Amino acid sequence: MSVAAASRAAPRGSGLARLLNGPHDIGRTPGAWAVLAAGLASFLVYPHWATAFQATNVAYYLLNIPMALGLSLLWGYGGVLSFGQVAFFAVAGYVYGIVAGNLPDAPWGTWLGVVSGLGASAALAAVFGYFIFYARVAAWIVPILTLVLALLLSTFLGLTAGSMWTVGQVPLGGYNGMTGIPALQVGTLTFQDYAFYYLTVGVVVLCYIGLRAWVNAHRGQVLMAIREDTLRTELLGYDVRREQLRAFVLAATLAGVSGLLYVQWGNYITPSVTGLQQAALPVVWVAVGGRDSLLAVAICTFLLNQLSYVLSSAGNQYALVIIGALLVAVMMFAPEGIVVTLARRTWRRRR
Amino acid sequence: MPEAVSLLYQFGTNAAFLLLSALGLIVILGMMNIINLAHGEFMMLGAYAATASVQRGVPFPLAVLIAAVAVGLFGVVIERLIVRRFYGRELGALVVTWGISLILGQGALLLFGPFMPPIAIPGGAVALGDYSFSVYWLFLIVLCGVLLAALAFVYRATRFGLQARAAMQNARMARALGIRVDRIYMATFALGAALAGLSGALLAPTTSIAPFMGQQFVAPAFITVVVGGGASVIGGALGSSGLLSLVQTPVAFLFGTFSGTLALLLTALVVIRLLPGGVSSIGRYFTRRSLAAAR
Amino acid sequence: MSDGDALLRAEGLCKRFGGVVAAQSIDFALRRGELRCVIGPNGAGKSTFFSLLCGIQRPDAGRIVFDGRDITRLKPFQRVRLGIGLTFQTNRAFHAMTVAENLETARRGGAAGDDVHFQTALASFGLAAQLERPASALPHHELQWLEICMALRRGPLLLLLDEPTAGMSPAETARTAEVLTALAADGLAIAVVEHDIAFVRQVAQTVTVLHQGAVFAEGSFAEVTARDDVRRIYLGHVHEAAA
Ligand SMILES: Nc1ncnc2c1ncn2[C@@H]1O[C@H](COP(=O)(O)OP(=O)(O)OP(=O)(O)O)[C@@H](O)[C@H]1O
Ligand SMILES: [Mg+2]
Repeated sequence: MSVAAASRAAPRGSGLARLLNGPHDIGRTPGAWAVLAAGLASFLVYPHWATAFQATNVAYYLLNIPMALGLSLLWGYGGVLSFGQVAFFAVAGYVYGIVAGNLPDAPWGTWLGVVSGLGASAALAAVFGYFIFYARVAAWIVPILTLVLALLLSTFLGLTAGSMWTVGQVPLGGYNGMTGIPALQVGTLTFQDYAFYYLTVGVVVLCYIGLRAWVNAHRGQVLMAIREDTLRTELLGYDVRREQLRAFVLAATLAGVSGLLYVQWGNYITPSVTGLQQAALPVVWVAVGGRDSLLAVAICTFLLNQLSYVLSSAGNQYALVIIGALLVAVMMFAPEGIVVTLARRTWRRRR
Repeated sequence: MPEAVSLLYQFGTNAAFLLLSALGLIVILGMMNIINLAHGEFMMLGAYAATASVQRGVPFPLAVLIAAVAVGLFGVVIERLIVRRFYGRELGALVVTWGISLILGQGALLLFGPFMPPIAIPGGAVALGDYSFSVYWLFLIVLCGVLLAALAFVYRATRFGLQARAAMQNARMARALGIRVDRIYMATFALGAALAGLSGALLAPTTSIAPFMGQQFVAPAFITVVVGGGASVIGGALGSSGLLSLVQTPVAFLFGTFSGTLALLLTALVVIRLLPGGVSSIGRYFTRRSLAAAR
Repeated sequence: MSDGDALLRAEGLCKRFGGVVAAQSIDFALRRGELRCVIGPNGAGKSTFFSLLCGIQRPDAGRIVFDGRDITRLKPFQRVRLGIGLTFQTNRAFHAMTVAENLETARRGGAAGDDVHFQTALASFGLAAQLERPASALPHHELQWLEICMALRRGPLLLLLDEPTAGMSPAETARTAEVLTALAADGLAIAVVEHDIAFVRQVAQTVTVLHQGAVFAEGSFAEVTARDDVRRIYLGHVHEAAA
């Protein structure tokens, strides 16, 4: 290999396929891709046998995946932990509800809601993140302050009962939350039931593919370099504060995507989505799956959401205890995450 | 004149609340660089232990002591079983203690049910002009001073304090000098837990006692810790609770409790932007403890 | 060092850590194409001096002018973008990445200068053939060379190396010296902290001796090593290196 060519070209080119198969996620063998494709295919044909209710439930298990992927990017790949992703989830949901709810007759009303919702999440993250990352605070301060942000947002939303807190024609609703949030619309198609299911599957797949390419591309590489050695990275000419802020805003936007899907699902949102217990859940999904693998996080988020749903709809009071114990056990005995540990074992045995 | 006293009382009450909420957390952070996210639940356990004792006819002051000791012992168990494995991994410690907090909150609900009978506030009120002041809160304000003085004494004048400060500055060196750093960490965590239990018990009469009561302390306690920083326990606790109360008292008075708490968060953001190491880092120069890790 | 066209000029740099004075009024100037060795006993303040130059530490007093600009208040990444490359005393290449990824990360760190020095170093150190290897698989001396190549990747005007040959065999050290000499002859300004006297003898045009945070002596290798007082403060290391 000539010196000039070797040092000029990026090591793996930059085509999407090559990025996707880059080293920074599990599942790179042809076999793994086949399993992934089969998985996706079964999600695509599933509604054929399922009722609209069942399909909507499955969509519910899926819709938190973008938020979890964002946290995986931030924590697993970037080494920056946030406990407040649910705040961005809630902001997107509420802002969407306000905008779309005030434009019931405009054909593009709901889409303006989407843009404003994501914009609001990103803007909040940018302002908040500026203070945190440009101060170069110690690592433990980021999760603490983001958690406080989520809790205060929840408290604030709980106080918004009464006509004083009606924006245009949409009441925020205090503890009872905002109801009657309109579903996304294109022409005559409303994204409910099966359409909502396919929307969710599509968004989740897009987020996953996009992020997997991102972590294998230059920006992701820099994020991992910062995680490994912040000072060394800065002394290669990178503005570390900016790179971290960028990842933070991206993760917040992804949390916003989940928030938007959530309000499509139930057409309501309450302050509890950004309360202390909900705030813990993304951390659990990501830690239990394996924070530095997007695929593991996606799989684990799906499974744990299903578990929580089953537990809570069976009226099981131990749900939180089980989730908490799972988190403690994983942090102690499988700190790489359960899914990642299993995947690596299988891979090793095959070799 | 009574207005001024009332304002001062409000200020003192807020500062005392912040300081009590955060003290155990600050002790653990300052000495071990570990954040205990189950701190609020430790306070809840303190409140429960005190209530249970009072119900069995134990006088309140004794009940508070029992709560502190009980939660301190509980802290030892948690440290030995779990936290011990996370030294040097601050983010891991944060996550695992959050898991503990989930278990404790929901566990308390399952074991003790949703309600605990309240404890009556001891002491009456004193009046000045049109204002009346709770004797108990005045006592708490004074007690905060006593607690800080006691901590200062422990750090400065006891063997434990000396060894703890050595371990905090350079664990490897301390180990080489024969200090049992492991023991020091355990004792520190127990001290932090006991302080959380003590605060929970002391604040129990002023609030409603419920399994998830720990949550109300999360925002004030953690903001106090962030603003204080980890460089000096006493300086951080005092400076931070004082500064925050200075902001919170007028804002809460004019715009309500929520705005007061929001002002705390905004203050924290501004303080870290100006002083990433918190207010205690102002004193860093004098304590000769360099935080610059880069070499 | 009176030349007005110095690439780097430090004036009166001071830095204290609590009670330790790590730098007290260091004056230092470096021309383009100059290869300077900075020597001094352990704890003399050599690494501190470098971290002041590249912005890891802020000086308590003094001023740094680089390429005609006052950079005293600039952040590390801003100084790197102006053309300063640095390696650390302990190797800090990214061990989890391949050689090529390390170099790619280094390449995209900001606006790039001329990369001829980098190409020279990459070829001379023989790393071009190892691009796909993980950095963790490289032997120690190649890791050191990799970090030098990373620092050179974007074409800096000034290279600061903190003990690059520590732990290398004599042959590897000599190779390093050869390459650095060639780079300097090509116009690159290099300052190297070194304990290895053989290395210093081979490369240095001028040697600066730091002692207790201050410039203790400066001159040619022969001048400096002939001075009794230098030998006295540095004797331990001379023996170590010779042994
Ligand atoms: N971040 C820091 N905090 C406190 N003291 C420091 C710090 N960095 C350096 N020092 C002190 O400053 C003095 C100079 O250290 P420095 O590392 O610059 O020496 P050096 O010449 O590079 O030594 P060596 O040959 O061992 O690398 C030493 O006494 C050291 O302990
Ligand atoms: Mg050094």
